[in-house]
Amino acid sequence: MTMCCMSSQTHTPASDSLPVSEDTLQSVLSLMLPADADDGDLYIEHSTAESLALEEGRVKHVSASTHQGMGARVIKGEASGHAFTDRLDPAALMEAGKSARAIALSGETKGPVAIHPDHSSPALYQNINPSEGVDFLQRKTLLEELDALARSLDPRVKQVFANVSSSFSDIHIIRMDGGHLHDARPLVRLNISVVVEQNGMRETGSAGGGGRFSLSRLTEGDEAKRLVREAVRLAILNLDAQEAPAGTFPVVLGPGWPGILLHEAIGHGLEGDFNRKGTSVFSDKMGQQVAARGITVVDDGTIHERRGSLTIDDEGTPSNRTVLIEDGILTGYLMDRQNARLMGMQPTGNGRRESYAHPVLPRMTNTFMLAGKDEPDDIVASLDRGIYAVNFGGGQVDITSGKFVFTTSEAYYVENGKIQHPVKGATLIGLGHEVLQKVSMIGNDLKLDPGVGTCGKGGQSVPVGVGLPTLRIDELTIGGTET
Amino acid sequence: MSLPTESSSHAPSLSYLAAKLIDEARKAGATYVDALAVNDTGDSISVRNGAVESVEREDAQGMGLRAFVETDRGLAFATASSSDVSESGLKKLAEQVVLMARISEPDPNAMPPVGANHPDADELKEWNKKHPGGNPGWDIGQARDAALHCEDVARHYSDKITNSEGAEASFGHNRVAYASCDGFAAEYGKSSASISVSVIAGSGEGMQRDYAWHRARHVNDLRSPELIAEEAASRAVSRLNAGSMHSGHSSIVFEPRTATSLLGHLVGAINGRSVLQQRSFLTDALGQTIFPDFVNIEDKHDHPEGLGNRLFDGEGTRCSAHSLIDRGVLTTFLTDRYTAKRLNMQETGSAMRGLTGDIGIGSSNLIWQPGSHSQKAMLKEIGNGLLVTELIGFGVNPVTGDYSRGAGGFLIENGEISRPVQGITIAGNLKEMFANIELVGSDLSWFGSTAVPSIAVSGMTIAGQ
Repeated sequence: MTMCCMSSQTHTPASDSLPVSEDTLQSVLSLMLPADADDGDLYIEHSTAESLALEEGRVKHVSASTHQGMGARVIKGEASGHAFTDRLDPAALMEAGKSARAIALSGETKGPVAIHPDHSSPALYQNINPSEGVDFLQRKTLLEELDALARSLDPRVKQVFANVSSSFSDIHIIRMDGGHLHDARPLVRLNISVVVEQNGMRETGSAGGGGRFSLSRLTEGDEAKRLVREAVRLAILNLDAQEAPAGTFPVVLGPGWPGILLHEAIGHGLEGDFNRKGTSVFSDKMGQQVAARGITVVDDGTIHERRGSLTIDDEGTPSNRTVLIEDGILTGYLMDRQNARLMGMQPTGNGRRESYAHPVLPRMTNTFMLAGKDEPDDIVASLDRGIYAVNFGGGQVDITSGKFVFTTSEAYYVENGKIQHPVKGATLIGLGHEVLQKVSMIGNDLKLDPGVGTCGKGGQSVPVGVGLPTLRIDELTIGGTET
Repeated sequence: MSLPTESSSHAPSLSYLAAKLIDEARKAGATYVDALAVNDTGDSISVRNGAVESVEREDAQGMGLRAFVETDRGLAFATASSSDVSESGLKKLAEQVVLMARISEPDPNAMPPVGANHPDADELKEWNKKHPGGNPGWDIGQARDAALHCEDVARHYSDKITNSEGAEASFGHNRVAYASCDGFAAEYGKSSASISVSVIAGSGEGMQRDYAWHRARHVNDLRSPELIAEEAASRAVSRLNAGSMHSGHSSIVFEPRTATSLLGHLVGAINGRSVLQQRSFLTDALGQTIFPDFVNIEDKHDHPEGLGNRLFDGEGTRCSAHSLIDRGVLTTFLTDRYTAKRLNMQETGSAMRGLTGDIGIGSSNLIWQPGSHSQKAMLKEIGNGLLVTELIGFGVNPVTGDYSRGAGGFLIENGEISRPVQGITIAGNLKEMFANIELVGSDLSWFGSTAVPSIAVSGMTIAGQ
């Protein structure tokens, strides 16, 4: 077996940060892989994370964590064996390798399908710990300033919660084919949440942002202050929110984070595992029209410094821009190596795992719809009687039936093309394979979210991004209380 | 098929690690400190279409440290965690957490880990005898056979079952050592085994998926693979041809599986920390009647069926059984030592400890006392409405109690189930939903550490066609 380093400026000399010797890892690989394995790898991770949280005007919660370990994996046909250990001594690694091997003695080999050699990929983020150069005191000062700002904006602000966190993950992937890949991933996040009170009524508002860049981006400049203003604005706005209507209405989605619609309604249903198994409502729809003409949806992990971006995925495949829907036609799935092999397709750089202690699953990166031609104002003005939803909380989908939900956190009732009043948080529900067919106007204002998305699947959380231009959907069920 | 066996471990004992961390933190300058060391060992095997799909083995350890330092304005603290159990790793962790505590802002109300109401040595001994932990009674081969059998029964339940997402069986045990600088030190073990299956009925755009699972402390207490399989398959089949329904106000029956979420919302709202932060719709409700007088809810720290048993909480505070809702009245908020002091309340021993981060608050085993109506009798009494068997999404505002979630289930007409329903939402406000509970079922069901019967609520809004 020959070793090679990925040929690109992105990958630092691999052995620099490798906490175990190459020789040991090679021994584990040879012990673990039977001759007829289809694939296999070792994933060695060292991660650190730091968090400061402010409440009641004080940065009272300071925490840090360090974790490291190895995941060993053997794949044979549809079967896979995994072992995870956080002891990086040779004996523990060998034991993990043996456990992973056990599965391969029972699985049925499908025979290798040629996977195209990976192209080299440019670095999408810097190989630096994002907290470097921004010491704890600077972070603390930032949170205190944001607290003071929030309280100065409106006397109704009663509680302010601010949190700044950063993490740095250094990963090595040693593949069965001899490839040794390395990635170092910075990630930062700032969150503001406020509680406001008026006449005994309380409401809350929050805002956040971040990405794969240095914390200094948050401590310098005005972005952090903008987030505070946004959180306070939302909370105050919701004090005056009226009951949302219940029933089926036309809905206009604002640009940016409402792209969570695509993540739930479309993205999950196109992940390779569900489609190989035939359990997704999209399983037999490739090449068919699943959205209105003019709609193009992509999953793009290659955007510079975005929260959902990856230079390489957790199997070492470089990130890609995968077109999921082109002009309304379903064109692409999101693939890891195992599902790609079993479906006779190519991996798309979407094999992801939360950590060394989790198996690889096909996951999204940054999922968004390309801009159309309509003016956003015209789209809102087109509503006779409906909802204009600008901001959302979380969402969820049932892959098999296609049902998805997402819940508004800033929405307005619109009549005769004019915004009337804000409405309380309501859940919107629809079917993934139908909702985009009901789109009648696409804005020219594509926006990506501010860097706040976390996607959960199979008990694993990974950072993701979404994006959307202003969009009119002619019919969606709105879960309000006003009938 | 040869399968992995128990790996031998040469790691230092957890109690040693916890004690050593306290030493190191004091050397590094901590005034008060408490520490946790944990070890998790687990195996899981998943099968699909009659063949093994994946085998996973985990062996993980971790340590968490909380250190308080004295400043001229009071005590400040920080938390940190690591999995590096080497002597140098312990020292590094201790130095890191003390350094961070010095940066942290002091809190005049800080509650350092000294003088908590700890259980005594006899109680600890008795508890460990009663709850030994250890292997829950499977090896990987037995787990594989259980998963294969469970999936097989589910797939062959009906010819309407068209596909499978597979079955999974897992088992594991963990050990936890806790020590605080006031001399309290304890170690305990927990074990659990679980089995789950998920199958699909119908085809194309008409596909419906459903699942069933059970988790118990020992394999002998697990529901049989056949029962779990039948529940998953019959649920998937019963959802076929689901349609929408008209919007309007309606009575809703939450079956136990969905009623657990109502208990979850209650516990979130009476969390002392949320109350202190004014992020709860029940901030001002202590001592008030928030449910009808036939509703009683308890938090029991030691129950033969519950998976949430604990002798002491994440700060070493002795746990006891207590009422949360007594004849409709909210009797307490859940507290750790800090929130109890701030809210001027009794400690409920509800501190939940992760390795790092701030201490959370949570219940042990939650039990909603059952009523006298069978679910069938409840439907009869309700007459017309909706039986909710599925909820999706996160549409609950914890500050206001406003509630709007995606739902699926069955239309109730003339006291009986008439047809499956999907693609609708149910909405209301939790305060009103709690007050508008009409009936509590007799069908108490356990889900891990929560036990709940069917619950009927009137006056909610359904959005559909």
